[in-house]
This record gives sequence, C-alpha cells and structure tokens, in this order.
Amino acid sequence: MKNEKNYSREHLLYLRGLKKKNIWINVARVAILLCLLGIWELSAQLAWVNPFITSSPSRIFKTIGELYTGGTLFYHVGTTLWETLAGFFIAVALGYGIALLLWWSECFRRISEPYLVVLNALPKIALGPLIIIWCGTGSTAIVFMTILIGLIVAILNMLNGFMATDENKLLLMKSMGATKWQILTKLVIPSSLPNFISMLKINVGMAWIGSIMGEYIVSKAGIGYLIVYGGQVFKLDLVMSAVFILCILAAVMYSAVALLERLVIKNRK
Amino acid sequence: MKEVLRFDNVSMHYHSKQGETVALEDVNFSVTEGEFVAIIGPSGCGKTTLLSLAAGLLSPTKGKVVTDGGSFGYMLQKDELFPWRTIEKNIFLPLEIKRTNTPENQKRAVALAEKYGLAQFLKNYPSSLSGGMRQRAALIRTLSVDPDVLLLDEPFSALDYQTRLSVCDDVYKIIREEKKTALLITHDISEAISVADKIFVLSRRPARVIAEHVLSFPETKPLKRRENKLFSGWFEILWKELNT
Repeated sequence: MKNEKNYSREHLLYLRGLKKKNIWINVARVAILLCLLGIWELSAQLAWVNPFITSSPSRIFKTIGELYTGGTLFYHVGTTLWETLAGFFIAVALGYGIALLLWWSECFRRISEPYLVVLNALPKIALGPLIIIWCGTGSTAIVFMTILIGLIVAILNMLNGFMATDENKLLLMKSMGATKWQILTKLVIPSSLPNFISMLKINVGMAWIGSIMGEYIVSKAGIGYLIVYGGQVFKLDLVMSAVFILCILAAVMYSAVALLERLVIKNRK
Repeated sequence: MKEVLRFDNVSMHYHSKQGETVALEDVNFSVTEGEFVAIIGPSGCGKTTLLSLAAGLLSPTKGKVVTDGGSFGYMLQKDELFPWRTIEKNIFLPLEIKRTNTPENQKRAVALAEKYGLAQFLKNYPSSLSGGMRQRAALIRTLSVDPDVLLLDEPFSALDYQTRLSVCDDVYKIIREEKKTALLITHDISEAISVADKIFVLSRRPARVIAEHVLSFPETKPLKRRENKLFSGWFEILWKELNT
C-alpha cells in the first residue's frame, strides 16, 4: 500500500474489513484442526472409543518419534519421496514431449487418439502383476507404476493446451511468415504455460497415487509399505502415522507447484 | 504510380465434407502505391478470405493474385498482442520471425513506437494498456518490419464506438505519415468512407466486385470527413449497393 495516505476513510475501512476477514478465516482453519485433534485425543484418553482401532494424535506423535529413533523414518520417507519425484518428473517430461509430437502431426494425433482414450480409461492398477514380472519387486516397479498413472493425464492435458492456441494469434504468426517451429516456440509453448502449471498440479496428485499404489502391490519400504504392513499386523498407530506424513509431503509438493505458478504467471490476463 | 496488388479473375472455393463453398467468384480489383483502398461487403461474404489471398496465406482456386514483390503487414480485428511479452518485445516479434532482429531494426521500431506515443509503455505488459493503446501497439508491431502494403481486417471492430473513432483517426494518421499503401476490409460503411481514397463493394457470397468508387473529400482526416456534407451522400449510395 504505497498510497495509503491518499485513500478515503471509507476505503481504509474497507481494506481493514478485508484484512479482518482474512485473519478470521485463517483462525477458523487452525481452530477446526485443533478442535478435531482435541476431540480425537480426548475421546481416546477417556476411552470413549478404542484407541487400538482409532489411534490418537499423541500415539501418532509417539509412533513417528519411534520411527525416528529407530532410524527408519527417513529411510521410508526417502524411498517414497524418491519414487514419487522420479515418477513425477519422468511422466511430466515424457508427457510434454509426446504432446508436442502429437501437436506437430495431425496424422499422428488422429492415429493415436483411440489408444490414448483407452489407456486413459484403463485402471492402471490392473497392470500390477505385469509390472512386477517385468520390473521386479524393487523401486523400479513403483516408479514405472507412477509414470504409467501420470503419463496419459500429462499427455492429454498438454495436448489440450497446445490445441487451444488462439486461432487469430496463429493467423497473425502465419501472416508474418512464421515457420512451424517459430509458431511452436514463440506462441504455442508460451501460451500453454497455464495448462502446464495445471498439468503439474494434477500430476502431483497422480504421482502420489502411483507411488503409494505401487507400494501397496509390491514393496519392501516406503510410506505405502508402512500403511499395508501396519494394517496387516493391526498396528493402526503406524497406519495413521504414515497417512499423516503423507498429508504433509503432498501439501509441501503442491505448494511448491503453487509457488512456481506465482513466479511464472505474473502478467497474464 | 505502380500497382502493388492486383486480383485477376480470382475465385476461391473451400472444400469440406459437407460440400463445396464458393467464397469468391471472379474478383477483380487493384491497389496502386500510396492508395488507401477499402473493400466493403456484407458480413460473411469472404472478406477475410480475400485478405488471406492478398497476403499469400491461401492460393486461389482460379485466377491470379499479382503483387509487385513488396512485403505485406497484416492487422487483425483484435490487437492479438502476446500477454507474456512486453510491448517492446511484442513490437520486435515480426523482426524475430523474419530473423532481422538486429539492433538497428530494433532501434527503428522503438523510434516508431516513441513517435506515436508508446514510449512510456514499452516495458509494460499489454494487460496494463487501454484498448486504443493496444491497437496502436499492434499497428506499430505491423510497421516494425516496414511492410509496403498494410492489410487491415476490420481493425477497429473490437473497440467500443468512442475509442473506435479516435483509433481510426490515429491509425489513419500513422499510415499516411509513414506513406504506406493500405487495404482495409470492413462491413462498416462509414468507416470505409471516412478513410478510403477508393472503395470496392462486394456482393453477398459468392462475393464479386459490384461497384468501384473513387472518393474525393476536401479534408482527409477521418473525423473531419464524417462531418462533411458529402459523407451522407456516399453512405446512401453504398448502403443501397450493399443491400441489393
């Protein structure tokens, strides 16, 4: 607010009102979280519910502490994080590249359309057994699963973005005598940047689905492994703790993309 | 004065699954160097097709489009400035495309922008400019490669009436000062009368040239022309021709 002095009293009141409302919303968000955690903890402590089944915040906290002192916390988090990020980046890069090829050639685009539609509709988990046989039971299989889940979504989203390039801007470029390569680099890629960001956002979610699902099917380590293992041996504290860690990781990765969005898209309207 | 553009019995057919559309049929006209020519026709009569043919983006089904080898600059209905580029970078776009993005050419383009009141906006993004200013920037972008002929495809139709009159005046002034040949295509009769030296009237689809008028006004500025007594006379003639 550089010119705050010049604002009228009504405008200042209006601004203050906006600020107040924002603060109130943030307070409400935190309060709801604290309330829920409090009720959860209390009902476990007072044995209104069976904490063996529902776990409780303090037990989650304790379990994470135990994982940490046992030295396996970062091993599991690291494994899942690596698989997720590797799958995410490969799926995004590969999807972007394939979408570019499809944009370039109408023939290629039309030929591949039914394949893309079917692959998009296919639940990728159905390929689980095949992936295990092809890639073994290590991290490779999980990364492969993550790529499979993200790839088609990345292709379809980016292709939509490329194809939505404004007709008149294309005409303008052609009237200047632009080559297809110039049209691609100077118009299609920059104008599809918002699609790229939203594709990244969608793929953050896809990557987590892929890695956790992959770990459900086959794994010796990772957050998904902890969840499955905890469920099998009825250690629900462990399950809850793993889910809690997952929430934090997913939120961090999403905010990283949101930050990127703020940096990249400043002057568009 | 030499001819810079001539249409010789040009016909244009479009093919689609639904059938064949005849957009233009035996169109003949020519544009001489330094002229401001307007072509008017009812909506959807193939005006944009005609400009695309002139610019060489399409080739005619029959007939010939003859140019003297000069370069063309195309100006569209909307400014189509790229929102991710500053005004300066937008103005350099045609230079980049033609691979003539040299410091001298950039300097020339910037000088042109400064001459026509865009100096303070060069580092701004298009979203911070008014509609009129944006269209002016679009014209400077077209002029940055120093084209011999300007093709104007209803360049004011996206603006509101007030802005439109002043931008029309503006663009006319710039085109005259830079001594460019211009071919304006529009369905707006009064716009055509207010700027053109010569008007060709197109019929409904398939479009043919049904009339040619040479306009002589004592004043040249578009806004002044609108005040002239001759204006309403021309309007009536063209209105009748468009509606037959």
